[in-house]
Amino acid sequence: MNKIFTSIKIGGGIVALAGLVLMLLAPLIGKNIFDFLWAVDPLTYLGGVLLIIGLGTVAGTYVGLERTKRNAREGINGHSRAHSWSETTLQYFQLFDHDLGRPLRRIAGKERELRAVMQANPEASDPGVVDLLDEIERQTPNFRLMMSNIQILIQLESPESVEELQPVEPNEVIRRIADRYSPVAAEAGKEITWWSEPSELGLVYANSNAIEHIVTNLVDNAVRFAGTHVEVKLTKNPTHFFVRVWDDGPGIGNQYVQHLFDRGWTPEVVRREEKSSSGLGLFIARSLARQAGGDLTVETDSNLEGDHHTAFLLSLPSNLTNQINGIRTNPSNL
Amino acid sequence: MAKVNSKHKILVVDDESESAILRAVRRRLEEEGWDTPVIQPESGHSVGEEFEAATLWYIEQDLPDAVLLDVRFGEHQDDQFRGLGILGEIVERWPKLPILMFTQYSQGPDRETAVRGSLKWDAQVDFIDKLASPDEVVLRLRRLMGAAPETIPIGNQILVDVTSRLVYVGDHDDQEVVLEIQGMKFEIFRELAVTWYRSPGELVAFGRLERYSEGEDPRASLRVRIREIKDAIGKAMDIRFGPSELIINVRDQGYRLVPPKS
Repeated sequence: MNKIFTSIKIGGGIVALAGLVLMLLAPLIGKNIFDFLWAVDPLTYLGGVLLIIGLGTVAGTYVGLERTKRNAREGINGHSRAHSWSETTLQYFQLFDHDLGRPLRRIAGKERELRAVMQANPEASDPGVVDLLDEIERQTPNFRLMMSNIQILIQLESPESVEELQPVEPNEVIRRIADRYSPVAAEAGKEITWWSEPSELGLVYANSNAIEHIVTNLVDNAVRFAGTHVEVKLTKNPTHFFVRVWDDGPGIGNQYVQHLFDRGWTPEVVRREEKSSSGLGLFIARSLARQAGGDLTVETDSNLEGDHHTAFLLSLPSNLTNQINGIRTNPSNL
Repeated sequence: MAKVNSKHKILVVDDESESAILRAVRRRLEEEGWDTPVIQPESGHSVGEEFEAATLWYIEQDLPDAVLLDVRFGEHQDDQFRGLGILGEIVERWPKLPILMFTQYSQGPDRETAVRGSLKWDAQVDFIDKLASPDEVVLRLRRLMGAAPETIPIGNQILVDVTSRLVYVGDHDDQEVVLEIQGMKFEIFRELAVTWYRSPGELVAFGRLERYSEGEDPRASLRVRIREIKDAIGKAMDIRFGPSELIINVRDQGYRLVPPKS
């Protein structure tokens, strides 16, 4: 754009210069070429017109160029303001996370020490105390997920949303999540089983944090609502890989399915009860999946006499062929 | 407690190594049969620098099997991400040494910076949240080190000896060999035990186990062998395992080990 404006400006300058030259030459050669018109030779008129056109063009391009520069500056400043806003928010959040995490780590540490003492001496264990310790251990993954949700939400809201692709082993990501939630599920008398088909799924190019975050939200939900079993199955086709999180809970009524991924929606909203969670997990999970070029869908059966269950299916591109430089811009920004 | 080829040494580098949460983790690592030496530099002006120097010196002198490393050392601004600097130094000098970053920054931009800046994708480095349960830390270290133990205890009563290819049943003081579990049956049980050791919820797909079956219908043959394993162990323990005990068939996809309740 700058080059075009500069060319026009130079052209205008040449035209104005030509006009000026004609006006200077007019007294010397004008009367030999044309008859006088209204006491002035026509070469002067011609020179004057060219000078005005040339100067007008130069002035116009100058104004245009300045306006373009200003727009560009505003654009950059607006962007950098937003960028610095999201960075500052993240920094504040990390401070907050650290400060909030510290007392919780102390509580969890003391809880685990006390549990070890009680395990060594079961006769001295008070059921009420055991209950309290179990509750602290149950709430710990909730806290971790909540903090992670807030962090991801800040990143999602950032105007500079770029998805970084790294080689990831989906099996390993799922394994970690199963390891984290298996003890929580066992405490509640439930079981998590996971597997992949084929058993060694291999590498994909994806954002490992995003996969972990999405599936953690799904498994957290599944463990909460399951009757006794949660299953996580990993599969793939030539272009995508899929994670299916299934639970044998009571299922979700058809009338609610369309609201499941709404920001802030929880079953309690309908019943006008106090919310037991923020209702952000599934919203964030689907936003992340779509940002990565995939999707998150749900299939559920709430017939209590039938095979009631809920299954979330996450599909994400494997990026095995279009992996060029490791970075893909957010498709919504393209 | 799993017995490994030699006693594994997990170097703990954390300025809060005496905190309750670290003590709980170290106790669990020791239950696993691992030594947990702790880096405790003499206090100086810069906490982070002291830890960095002491850690590198220790590893130089006595190479551990893995390192459990914190990210933040003290409150000084320079030490906020000191652990990432130590991580970079270790990876550069000992690229094969498994490192588990034990931190509240287990996710997010700082982890990404560390991964991009100092690590290749195949580096033996993983991140885990400080609020992770001690069991989770053990599982993650097991996988990072790729340790194949000589023996795998399944609950309190069953022990798989991978080296001598035998299965024992009974208390620590009074164990008897289950002689019926040998050959293919041992391989099936070992496969289930090793998978359970790495990740307790992981199912072993039929395809992986059918390698140890024969005949025209490997699935049916596998089913028979699984029944025989359960019966043999049950007989030694004087109980009969039902369909949802010890080895369970999950939705006709594969089998999973479930330690018997003590």
